[in-house]
Amino acid sequence: MSTTTIPAGPPAGAPAPAPRPERGTWSRTALAVVAVLVVAVLGLLGARALRAGDDDPGRPVPQSAEMETALGVRISRVAVVGDGGLVTVSYVVLDVDKASRFQADTKHPPVLRSEARDGSTNRVSVMRQGHINRAGATYYFVYQNTGGALRAGEDATIEYAGLRLEHVPVL
Amino acid sequence: MRLNRTRARTRDAASAARLRRRSGILAAVGALVAAVAIGSTAGAQAATSEGLLCQTDPHQTFSLTARTGYISTPDGNSIYMWGYGMSSGQFQLPGPVLCVTSGQPVTVILHNTLTEPTSIVFPGQKAVKANGNPAQPQLDTGGSLTSMVQAADATDGSVTYTFTAGSPGTYLYSSGTDVTKQQQMGLYGALVVRPAGAAGQVNDRTDSAFSPQHEYVFLLSEVDPEVHLAVERSQPVDWSAYNARYYLINGRSMPDTLAPNNASWLPSQPYGALVHIKPWDAATNPLPAVIRYLNAGRVSYPFHPHGSDERVVNKDGHALQGTSSTAPQDLSYLKYDIDVMPGQTVDALMDWRDVEHWDATTNPIPTQLPVITDQLLVGADTWFSESPYLGTKGSYPANITVNNECGEYYHVAHSHALQQATNYGAAFGGMMTVFRIDPAAGCPTS
Repeated sequence: MSTTTIPAGPPAGAPAPAPRPERGTWSRTALAVVAVLVVAVLGLLGARALRAGDDDPGRPVPQSAEMETALGVRISRVAVVGDGGLVTVSYVVLDVDKASRFQADTKHPPVLRSEARDGSTNRVSVMRQGHINRAGATYYFVYQNTGGALRAGEDATIEYAGLRLEHVPVL
Repeated sequence: MRLNRTRARTRDAASAARLRRRSGILAAVGALVAAVAIGSTAGAQAATSEGLLCQTDPHQTFSLTARTGYISTPDGNSIYMWGYGMSSGQFQLPGPVLCVTSGQPVTVILHNTLTEPTSIVFPGQKAVKANGNPAQPQLDTGGSLTSMVQAADATDGSVTYTFTAGSPGTYLYSSGTDVTKQQQMGLYGALVVRPAGAAGQVNDRTDSAFSPQHEYVFLLSEVDPEVHLAVERSQPVDWSAYNARYYLINGRSMPDTLAPNNASWLPSQPYGALVHIKPWDAATNPLPAVIRYLNAGRVSYPFHPHGSDERVVNKDGHALQGTSSTAPQDLSYLKYDIDVMPGQTVDALMDWRDVEHWDATTNPIPTQLPVITDQLLVGADTWFSESPYLGTKGSYPANITVNNECGEYYHVAHSHALQQATNYGAAFGGMMTVFRIDPAAGCPTS
């Protein structure tokens, strides 16, 4: 019963309890430790969220009206595959005729350039020519990942015929 | 004084409580830090993993749930599917690869969330029981077959199958109810039975040993999207108009087959199909890889790995060997095209050997940079790495540092029924992947 009525502090005139300063020190130390741990947790969570965000398939690929008008395609995904040795570039066909010309230009494939370091690749293996591209369907290139130029979680720039599409997330 | 003592005891109790609370907070925060750190590591490993992802359990007990879901195809389509997934997980295609040991009891508990009954048959396994009774065909009151085995009721039913794992090898497991429809919808998976005490062998023969780090499952199947659309809309299926448009390895089509296990952009299709090896070497790399082929489709799939034969050592869970009980003859054989029939499984060992002993200095062969063969995915037998010398890189244009990571080779592997190597008719795609061969010294950046 008495415990429910004990005030938070000692009654007036009562000797100061010895443990108080120690409790304050402990509290500050404990709070500091907790704060460090919380910061560490938040840091890890933040890094993880950042990494997840970089690898998030829902993160939109930037669009370029200029590039889409010129090439007839919209880049939809860039992903490092083949255990790091290959890169797939997927694109949606918007204009069948332009897209067919773009896909057939095997001597001038788009260049994939890392925005994180010096490094690029333009060695591409394309889908076989001859099939009929369909508007709205997705097709792809497979690149050799030259010297590990692109890495998952970073951004890349795609260059083709003087056009650039920047900040493309690499999955 | 009494009051003070009481207060002192109360303060002590309160301090102890605070200490417990603080300790609890510290422990919780510490656990959280550890969990996040471990989770981060595990996530990073999962994102780059390749090869077989085995589902194991010390009691060989697996709880599967039949669910609906969607898969993505490389041409941008989204297909309504049914699939077996771990009950603790989510929808996936194909079902989990269940890895068990021969001669040990296996329990598979099937939960059904579909709107019709479903079941699992385990072809090749003997004396399978369902809810403790012999698994056997089910007939309605008119004598018509309703299911190959006892099924789990629609919506929330369940059934428990038990058996003793049979001879070592690979087996398909799939729906035994309305088989044509339910298997087409995606109700299938792979069962890998390992030899007791010899997990690094395909079967009980020592010459079936493989490198455990290079074990792969290629579960082959196909999809007619019109069937799936009809099922999704609860409309009747016109089987006379059946026409498969997508061909899958482990639930994925090229180029998604090249993506790692658990790729973030394929959340329902967890298994990749990249084979990644190094050249055979008697001293440093003597064991081959193993590829376990299964056919969950309706037609034969003539799977053709470029650049190397494979040695077929097992079919339908049985070693290819003679009948002698003392020294059974080795009946394995090399094959350039692995024909996998519907419902069949084929286990094949593969390695890559430099039989010509190419050497840029001591055994050079003329080479000319091909104009087009590195431009087309299929058009040459290999994906030319611009040097015949594995790991040796030639000269390159000024703007190119190297042409690949480390001079590795990529060999295409695909169904040789070429309509099966397309995505809705667009070549190439479908039932296709690559085999990657790294130089013996490895590839530093991979």
